[in-house]
Amino acid sequence: MTASHINIANPVRALKRSAFTLPERTLSNLGVWERFDRKAIVARDVEMVFRSGTEPSLVLKGIDLDIPQGEIQLLMGPSGSGKTTLLSILAGILTPTAGSVCLLGQEITRMSKQQLSNFRLNNIGFIFQGFNLFPALTALENVEVALKVKGVRGTVARRDAHELLSQVGLEDRMNYLPRDLSGGQKQRVAIARALVGNPKLIMADEPTASLDSHSGHAVIELLRDLAKKGGRTVLIVTHDSRLIDVADRVAYLEDGILT
Amino acid sequence: MASIARKNLFEDIPRFIVAQAGIMFAVSLVTIQLGILDGFSRSTTRLIEQSDADLWVSSQEMLHLEVTLPIPLERLLQTRQVNGVERAEALISRSGVWLDSAGHIVPVKVWGFNPGGRLFGNWRMSQGSLSSLQEPYTFITDRSNLGALDLKQVSDVGKIVPLQAKLVGLSEDTQSMASSTSLFASLENANAFGGSGSGNLNCTIQAGQVECLSPLTRSTSPSSSEPPPPPRNLSLEDSISYVLVQAKPDQDLSELKKRLESALPNTRVHTKAEMVEITHTYWRKRTGVGFILGLGATVGVIVGMVVVSQILYSSVSDHIKEFGTLKAMGASDWVVYGVITEQALWMAVLGYVPSMALCLGLGAWTVATKGIVILITPGTAIAILGVTVIMCVGSALFAIQKVTHVDPAIVFKA
Ligand SMILES: Nc1ncnc2c1ncn2[C@@H]1O[C@H](COP(=O)(O)OP(=O)(O)OP(=O)(O)O)[C@@H](O)[C@H]1O
Ligand SMILES: [Mg+2]
Repeated sequence: MTASHINIANPVRALKRSAFTLPERTLSNLGVWERFDRKAIVARDVEMVFRSGTEPSLVLKGIDLDIPQGEIQLLMGPSGSGKTTLLSILAGILTPTAGSVCLLGQEITRMSKQQLSNFRLNNIGFIFQGFNLFPALTALENVEVALKVKGVRGTVARRDAHELLSQVGLEDRMNYLPRDLSGGQKQRVAIARALVGNPKLIMADEPTASLDSHSGHAVIELLRDLAKKGGRTVLIVTHDSRLIDVADRVAYLEDGILT
Repeated sequence: MASIARKNLFEDIPRFIVAQAGIMFAVSLVTIQLGILDGFSRSTTRLIEQSDADLWVSSQEMLHLEVTLPIPLERLLQTRQVNGVERAEALISRSGVWLDSAGHIVPVKVWGFNPGGRLFGNWRMSQGSLSSLQEPYTFITDRSNLGALDLKQVSDVGKIVPLQAKLVGLSEDTQSMASSTSLFASLENANAFGGSGSGNLNCTIQAGQVECLSPLTRSTSPSSSEPPPPPRNLSLEDSISYVLVQAKPDQDLSELKKRLESALPNTRVHTKAEMVEITHTYWRKRTGVGFILGLGATVGVIVGMVVVSQILYSSVSDHIKEFGTLKAMGASDWVVYGVITEQALWMAVLGYVPSMALCLGLGAWTVATKGIVILITPGTAIAILGVTVIMCVGSALFAIQKVTHVDPAIVFKA
């Protein structure tokens, strides 16, 4: 592509590529472009050093990652390669030792703890390998708690929780406790909970790892539907190669480096 | 709306029951200690509170209700002369020894008053009436003292050494837990019971039984068929313990008090409230009772805090991942604190209610069987609820500080 063939559908990208070279790779400068580019997740030079042992260990070494809105991004790699660490950083749960992360056009690495917490509340849904449901609460109540945290209460919360559980196909299991649900059903409760407040981003760590292949498949289908119908961006850390079929992009992490 | 706190609490019923048992124990300990302290304090001043006297005239040296030096009966007559006095009555308190039919002795306090008067003896009678006290050598006592005196019922007889004495009535709520068994008699009878004294007794122990002899014993011994002569009236040389004073309506009590003190040499005059205060203070502060019971209550609070902290801490530790998940989702710390605090409040209320019921039941039982009052006033009950809530919520701080430091990154740990 050259300057004489400016792409009408994406003028910004075209301009950027043809006319500019960015003076410095900082996200404050990049932010403008990324927003126009409809990037949901942008990471630049992310480094993470853990200092819990005798000597510091560099777990992530200069990660650059761009994930467009509405896409399903897989993050794969061997055990201990730093996938969960990267996911935690991209979700604003861990602060990287260096580099910056921009979510939905906002640089989360510059936010205060409080701002980060608010940002997660409004924009991110989480799904975990271990489901992390309150064991004493029913499926319905587990979803209601997330609604309560987001300021929805009473009958509205109950109605919304019903609706979300129906969306994940659990209308007949609303009043079951987690211990009376199968692994796949539990993960669907967790997905319903992650959908509370209709977040733009879904972050999932090994969502199918605790499931058999049948329920794993159901969960995969569900995640794909959610991403495609809701225009959500989904970042999935996984070892599960079946997920590659539904993914738009796959990144491999090895020894703290993306390949 | 689902309450995470409540559900977490009831999730593990056996643990919940153990926790509540611990809290109940602690709350009951506090309640019983405070209740006994209150009941004890109250019992020491029942006679003052039941009296209708506005002012009490005593010797200058009075220590508290039961320990004072005698004043001459003349003071009673002098009191009646003082301007502003509506009515004045004598009250005597003497020590004696009760000898029951089995030969056991019991120290007793004999109170003498005018049964036809108005200022003393206004307690509830559960049997008999005050007017029977006009008969010679009669007395009444608190219903709870029957056992201590080894008496079964009204009209039973024993000895206020060395005189035979007949029980003619039972009063209610008149026994001080701090003093020896109180007996109430007319002034003349009390003077005889107390005045014949045990100092000049000739007591011997034979086969484990006490046998006391004195001139009067001999004269009232069964061998003599004649009843003893009635006790003599008090003369001006006799001594009394207090002059009870009722002021004329609309009298300024502090003025009257001053007038009385200047008119009556070597006396001190106390208002009813002052008498109560002096007696309470004596028992609570000058003796170790207040301290010991207070110590017991403090131990109760500490035990309660330890139990509640442990339970809350382990409950929070069990659910740390879920709390971490809430934080990861973006819940503010306050949401999480709210859950823990609510859990603590549930524990407080669910521990408090059965404890109170238990203590009220126990109190009813001790009053009925032991004459020991565990006094739980509405004020005390509210104060103990406050202590329980503070105890539980205070214990929640440990758990809260654990959650405060939870790293939301743990949510991804399998
Ligand atoms: N809090 C921490 N303190 C110290 N080291 C850590 C910490 N968290 C992770 N690590 C280290 O960072 C490395 C990457 O861990 P991470 O959990 O990100 O791996 P992973 O790719 O998710 O592995 P798996 O596939 O087994 O889940 C590991 O060597 C791990 O020991
Ligand atoms: Mg991992």
